[in-house]
Amino acid sequence: MIKFKLNGLEVQVEEGTTLLEAAHFYGFPVPTLCYHEGLSNWGGCRLCIVELKQGNQSRIVSSCTYLAQNDLNVFTNSEKVVKIRKTIIETMLATVPTSKIVQDLASKYGVHRVRVAVENKDCLLCGLCTRMCIEQMDGKAIGLVGRGDSLKITTAFDKRSDTCRLCGGCIYICPACQIRCIGPNIEKDGPICNACANLEPPCLDQFENMMCYMDPCVACEIGTEKPVKSKL
Amino acid sequence: MGSKRTTIYVCMGTSCDARKSRRLQEAFSRALKDKGLHDEIDVSATSCLGYCDEGPNILIEPENLMYHNLNEEDVPFFIEEHFIKGNRLENYILAPGNGELKIPDMTDINFFKHQRLVVLRNRGRLEPDSIDEYIAMDGYAALSKVLEEYTPESIIVEIIDSGLRGRGGAGFPTGRKWQICRNAPGNEKYIVCNADEGDPGAFMDRSILESDPHAVIEGMIIGARAIGANQGFVYIRDEYPLAVQRIKKAIQQAEDYGLLGDHILGSDFSFTLKIVRGAGAFVCGEETALLASIEGKVGRPRQRPPFPVIKGLWRKPTNINNVETWANVPHIIRNGAKWFSNIGTAKSKGTKIFSLVGKVTNTGLVEVPMGITLREVIFDIGAGIPGDKKFKAVQIGGPSGGCLPDKMLDIPIDYDQLVQAGAMMGSGGLIVMDETTCMVDLAKYFTKFLYEESCGKCWSCREGLRRMLEILTKITEGKAKEEDLDTLRDLAEMTKYASMCGLGQTAANPVLSTLKYFEKEYILHVRYKRCPAKVCKALINFYVIPERCTGCMRCVAACPTGAITGPRSEPHNIDQSKCIKCRACYEICKFNAIEDVIVDAIVIK
Amino acid sequence: MAKLSIEDLKNLRDTMYRKMTNEENPKIIVHMGTCGIASGAQEIYDTIVRELTQEKINVTLKTSGCAGLCSREPMITIQLPGKAPVKYADLNPKKVIKILNQHIRNGVPVADYALAIGSETTY
Repeated sequence: MIKFKLNGLEVQVEEGTTLLEAAHFYGFPVPTLCYHEGLSNWGGCRLCIVELKQGNQSRIVSSCTYLAQNDLNVFTNSEKVVKIRKTIIETMLATVPTSKIVQDLASKYGVHRVRVAVENKDCLLCGLCTRMCIEQMDGKAIGLVGRGDSLKITTAFDKRSDTCRLCGGCIYICPACQIRCIGPNIEKDGPICNACANLEPPCLDQFENMMCYMDPCVACEIGTEKPVKSKL
Repeated sequence: MGSKRTTIYVCMGTSCDARKSRRLQEAFSRALKDKGLHDEIDVSATSCLGYCDEGPNILIEPENLMYHNLNEEDVPFFIEEHFIKGNRLENYILAPGNGELKIPDMTDINFFKHQRLVVLRNRGRLEPDSIDEYIAMDGYAALSKVLEEYTPESIIVEIIDSGLRGRGGAGFPTGRKWQICRNAPGNEKYIVCNADEGDPGAFMDRSILESDPHAVIEGMIIGARAIGANQGFVYIRDEYPLAVQRIKKAIQQAEDYGLLGDHILGSDFSFTLKIVRGAGAFVCGEETALLASIEGKVGRPRQRPPFPVIKGLWRKPTNINNVETWANVPHIIRNGAKWFSNIGTAKSKGTKIFSLVGKVTNTGLVEVPMGITLREVIFDIGAGIPGDKKFKAVQIGGPSGGCLPDKMLDIPIDYDQLVQAGAMMGSGGLIVMDETTCMVDLAKYFTKFLYEESCGKCWSCREGLRRMLEILTKITEGKAKEEDLDTLRDLAEMTKYASMCGLGQTAANPVLSTLKYFEKEYILHVRYKRCPAKVCKALINFYVIPERCTGCMRCVAACPTGAITGPRSEPHNIDQSKCIKCRACYEICKFNAIEDVIVDAIVIK
Repeated sequence: MAKLSIEDLKNLRDTMYRKMTNEENPKIIVHMGTCGIASGAQEIYDTIVRELTQEKINVTLKTSGCAGLCSREPMITIQLPGKAPVKYADLNPKKVIKILNQHIRNGVPVADYALAIGSETTY
């Protein structure tokens, strides 16, 4: 067993447990995007960062790739972590404003402004789809190609893959493709939707105090009169 | 007579010492005593006289005569001839009549004078393709010493005692790294030489591999012996064709001589060395990405721990060191840890090689003892800034290092001091910039480089750099607001703290260090839309200052668009609508009559 | 090539050392690192070979890596037997021919082109 401190609490986990698994096990919320239980840990989105403190020194690591070790002193929501996490969400929001998952993160973590140029990209390059394809679907059809500016997700040599069975696993897992946020009118209101975090969502009139368990909420989508993007 | 009239100084530099100058000194003392001259002639040891190829050398004062190539047996004859008969022994006199020829002495040239060659000691002297010449310069002597006298543990102790730290950038103590790797569980271990030197303007490792490849190989064999590895890799970028060719040949020669392969020098130790050529991705210089690349995977860093010394190549313990680190090893073994730890500062030992480039008179490769100040390197060795320009900043440590201004030049070169100053040792690039360099433009250039070379895995590095580049571009185009500087800081912070590998964590340094030391220049760009270095085209307007203009027409001829008009001998005029801001007039004017708005007049609170 | 033992290595060192330090011919080293080659060291090398074969002078012609002062390449070092080495910088074929004439044939270094005399301090 490995013993360490998590947000000041003495905790024990089995060897080989990541800090993220430990935090979730002990009930500390840590946001993730490129993490999925059924897939290998990637550490690309950096949302799950936690701070390791040791004396005066501190390091920030991605909890999904960092294995728990004895005598660590982990903070999942330190001031530094929260600030950096907000910057990450802010840039994600500016890049892929149509992703409902990113919009939800922005609502949850209080990102109310976007200071960089708003784009309308469709991909976060989180690599979930490529891992899904390789690890779960045994497809090996798509992968991350290139680096820096030319990094993209594509099939080998940009040709239709022979191994792709059109299973749709990549679309299922994608945080940007599958669940679209229909909220923001980017030209008019900027990239922040926050409709779901609205204290008076449109469904309340019809469903009284019932808790909404639909994800995505169909009622929200039908009930709003916000312009639906032509892509949908 | 109390005072002695003559002194014989015997050179005790390492090179002459190796050529038995100590015995020569004893021979002189003995012979002088025999002849009864020991009261009149003194024999004394001196430090290196600078003619190491010619040793052992002696200097006779006050005549100021240098003799060389003396043997012990020659001494009685020499004393007889020189001191008793008073004949000059022309055969032994060194330095042909320097006075008449006016050729400066090597030790008088600033560029060479302040350097201390350890790793580069064979530069410019040896045929790199000849193992025999390397052996003649005591090459592979350290290896035989290790095989005869040392146990693997005692090699490690020697390296730890020497205080050698990794020359690749971070400066981790080499001996401790070896120890961890040796103690790591597993029988199969690897060592790797990182020769993937990708920093713009840095060529230390290339030069070592080109001029002294055997030193790297010898260091690696010793390291393998200490760690218990039987297989090594040299990961070298394919952009260095000459270096690849030379190290390849050197490995072949070492194999032929039985210095690599099974039963090295008749011992029970076996070690083979392979070359892996990298495709030149900057990120492959990061150790985990480098290992992935050797394994044939995409060069993309992974999470550490586990560190490569515990789980590296094919999950086996792997020790990675940079070219310069390996090349230091034979010298430490040959001369002892104590000798090495005498060079340098308290926490940084030995010498460091820098490639001195940019706006500096002497560019090239310099090896200096740790603890020397940046000012000495730039102004003494590099002979300062060419032209009448003023020094502005020096970038140390490659693209992910930092830019230090004039006031930081007096800090000694030392791993910890540089990190404190917001730069880092890096692998040793020194890019000097003068007042014509715009710091925002510079930060933009390096951010672009790093963005293009980012592996792209971490959002914080890839997008952080892209967004910083976006803002920097806005600033240089004069479209930025003052709030953008705060955004820039936040993005830099995100990149620095949230990225996984060392490259990502340092990728914000160009922005952070220029923001720290040259904030005024950013504010001039953002608030006043002016570029004091006259680099950012959108922010400059050239005007003729009538009082200075003599009407010489030089700028009129130089202007490619015909924007400058004016009769001879009268102040010219620049038509702003035609001006493309190519700087041609500014560069050509001898009277400083072409100016941007005087930025010095702007006072920033 | 036979594999060496430690003893062989020491002997080889001594033989080579004697050979290198008791050079009978003038020694010319052309500094051919990447920096040197980029600024024309190959041309210098070829010029020297051409001149020497025409005139049938015995010299030891060698190459080596960068001599350090990259901004002054191409460079060569000439060492006459028993004399201190002289380094020449900023060369071109024309200068080299003059240096060969004056320094190698007549033993007088060309002061105008010479950078320095002597060798660098090591250790």
